[in-house]
Amino acid sequence: MKKLRALSFPYVMWMSLTIVLPMALILLVAFSDLNIFRLGSFTFTLEGFSVLRSPVITTAIRNSFRFAFIVTALCFLIGYPVAYLLARSTSRHKTLFVTFLILPVWSNMLLRIVAWERLFFPNSILNMFGISLNLIGTDLAIIIGMISMYLPFMIFPIYSVLDKMDQALIEAAIDLGASRVKTFFKVTLPLSFGGVVSGVIMTMLPAMTAFALPARLSGGRTLLIGNIIEDYFMRTANFNAGSIVSLVMMVLMIVLYLWILRFDKEGETLI
Amino acid sequence: MKKLIDIQNLVKQFDDQVVLNNINLYINENEFITLLGPSGCGKTTLLRLIGGFETLDEGKILFEDKNIADIPAHKRPINTVFQKYALFPHLNVYQNIAFGLKMKKMPKETIEQEVLKALEMVKLKGYESRNIKTLSGGQQQRVAIARALVNKPKVLLLDEPLAALDLKLRQDMQYELKEMQRALGITFIFVTHDQEEALTMSDTVVVMNEGHILQIGTPIDIYNEPKNRFVASFIGESNILPATMIKDYKVNILNTEYTCVDHGFGEQTPVEVVIRPEDIELKPAQGGIEGLVTDVIFKGVHYEIIVMVGTIEFIIHSTLSQTVGTQVSITFEPEAIHVMRR
Repeated sequence: MKKLRALSFPYVMWMSLTIVLPMALILLVAFSDLNIFRLGSFTFTLEGFSVLRSPVITTAIRNSFRFAFIVTALCFLIGYPVAYLLARSTSRHKTLFVTFLILPVWSNMLLRIVAWERLFFPNSILNMFGISLNLIGTDLAIIIGMISMYLPFMIFPIYSVLDKMDQALIEAAIDLGASRVKTFFKVTLPLSFGGVVSGVIMTMLPAMTAFALPARLSGGRTLLIGNIIEDYFMRTANFNAGSIVSLVMMVLMIVLYLWILRFDKEGETLI
Repeated sequence: MKKLIDIQNLVKQFDDQVVLNNINLYINENEFITLLGPSGCGKTTLLRLIGGFETLDEGKILFEDKNIADIPAHKRPINTVFQKYALFPHLNVYQNIAFGLKMKKMPKETIEQEVLKALEMVKLKGYESRNIKTLSGGQQQRVAIARALVNKPKVLLLDEPLAALDLKLRQDMQYELKEMQRALGITFIFVTHDQEEALTMSDTVVVMNEGHILQIGTPIDIYNEPKNRFVASFIGESNILPATMIKDYKVNILNTEYTCVDHGFGEQTPVEVVIRPEDIELKPAQGGIEGLVTDVIFKGVHYEIIVMVGTIEFIIHSTLSQTVGTQVSITFEPEAIHVMRR
C-alpha cells in the first residue's frame, strides 16, 4: 500500500494546482481588497460583500435558481420516460439508441448554443419552411437551449440505475398483486431514486452556472449569475466582487447539494 | 383429492428453441409437488408459466377449471418465493411483508395483525423495522416466505428457495417448509435440482429433463422404480447395468441368472437394471458376480466400497468395511433389482 501511495502523487499535485490553490486565491481575494494591479499591500475586509445588495446581482442569482429549477424539472419529466423505455427495451439496437443520446454531448457545447441562436433569430434557415421562431431574448429560448444541453445528463444516471435493477423485484411486486402502474410507483420509481438524484445534480449545477448559453440565447437581455461573474473577471477586472459572487454561489450550491442528498436514502447516488 | 391445476399439452419456446415440450401434469389441492431436474430442464420456466411471468405457446393451464391465461399475473391467487428472494431493498421487513395486503387495500389493523402473525410463523418476531440488507440469507429467506404466505394464496411457488443457504440451515428449512405446508393446507410447487431435497419434502416428484417430464410419482416410487437411466442416475447413486430379460421374473445380469419382481418386458429383451448401492451385500467369493475390492472410502454412516467386475465398476454402501484387494461376491435380493427399458 505504501508503495502504491507514491502513484497518487501526480494527482495530488494536480489537485493542489487546479483546485486548492485557486480556491485559496478566491478566498483571499474575496475577503480582502487585494488588487491584481497593485500586488503587495492589501488588508482583509468584508466591504466587498456589499456588492450582494446590488439589485443586478440579486436578480441574477434569482434568475439562475429559477432557470435551474425549471430546466431540471422539465429534464426530469422528459428524461425519466426516455430512460425507462431505454432500460426496458429488449431491442437489439438498444446500444445504438444510447449512443445517439450521447452523441450530442460529444460535440462542442458552444457550437450547439450558436446553432440554437441561429434558429431562434427572426431570420433563420427555418424561413425556408415559412417558420420564424423569433425567440431570442425570451425565457423560452434559454429553457429550450438548456434542456437540449443537459437532458442527456438527466437520462444517463436514471438509465443506468433502471438498467441494473433486478427484474425479479418487478415480478415480485406483480406477484404480490400490484398492477403495472402501482408497481412503477411503489417499486421502480423509489428504487431509481439514486439515479434521479444524480441526474438532478448533474443538470441543476451546470444550469445554475451557465453563462455562454444565456448570453447568446437571451441576446444579452437576461443575466444569470454566470454572466455577472464573467463580467467581473473578464471585463471590469473587479476580481474582489467576482470572487465574492462565486463564493456565495458555491455555498448556495453546496447547501442545495446537501439538501438533495437527504432524499437519497439508499446512498446509491452515482456521484 | 381435488385437481387444482391441470396442465394440458403445454409447449413453450424461446426463439424457436423448445424449452417445454408437450407437458401434461395435474396438481392436487394441498399437495407438495416438486419439479426436479438439472438446470436447463425447463422446471423454472414451467413455474413461471404458472405464476404468469411467461406466456405459453401451445396447450393450456387450467386453474380450478378456468383457463389461467384469462387471469393476469397480479390477480392470480398464487404467490412466489423467488430464487434470490427479490425482497424490496427500499422497504423494511414489515413493509415487505405488508406489500401484498396493501395492494389488496386491506384495513391497516388487519394488515398489522396478519404481518405480525406471519412474522411469528417464520420465527422473526421483533424484526419488523429491520432493514432487509441487515438480515442474513436465512432470515431474508424467511421474510420472503412470510411475504408470500401472508396473502393466503391457494398455491405457493418456490423457485429453488434453499439453494443459497448452507447445509444445516437448508435441512432445517426443508423441515419447516414441509410443516408450514401441512399446517396451512396450501399447495406448494417447489422447484429444485437437489434430489435429496425433493425426496425429503415432496408428496409428488416430477422428474424433468430437456423440456420433458420423465416420471411423476411419490418419492418412494421414483427412488425404487426409476423409469429410465436418467431418472435412476439423477435420483441418488446407482449401479446401472446392461442385462437381458429372459422372461417374466427372470433376468440375466452379467451372465448370471436372477429372480426378480419385474415382468411385462417380453422374452429375451435387452434391458438395463438399477441396483442401489445400499441394496448390495458383499460376501466372500462364492461364485455369481465376483469382483475385486479396489477402494474403500469412509463416509461417516457407511463405507463406500468400489468393486471392479471386469471393466464394470460397482458402488456399494455398507456399514461393514472390506480390505482392498480381496475377491468378493456381489449379492442382492430379487426386490433390489429394478428393470428399465433400454
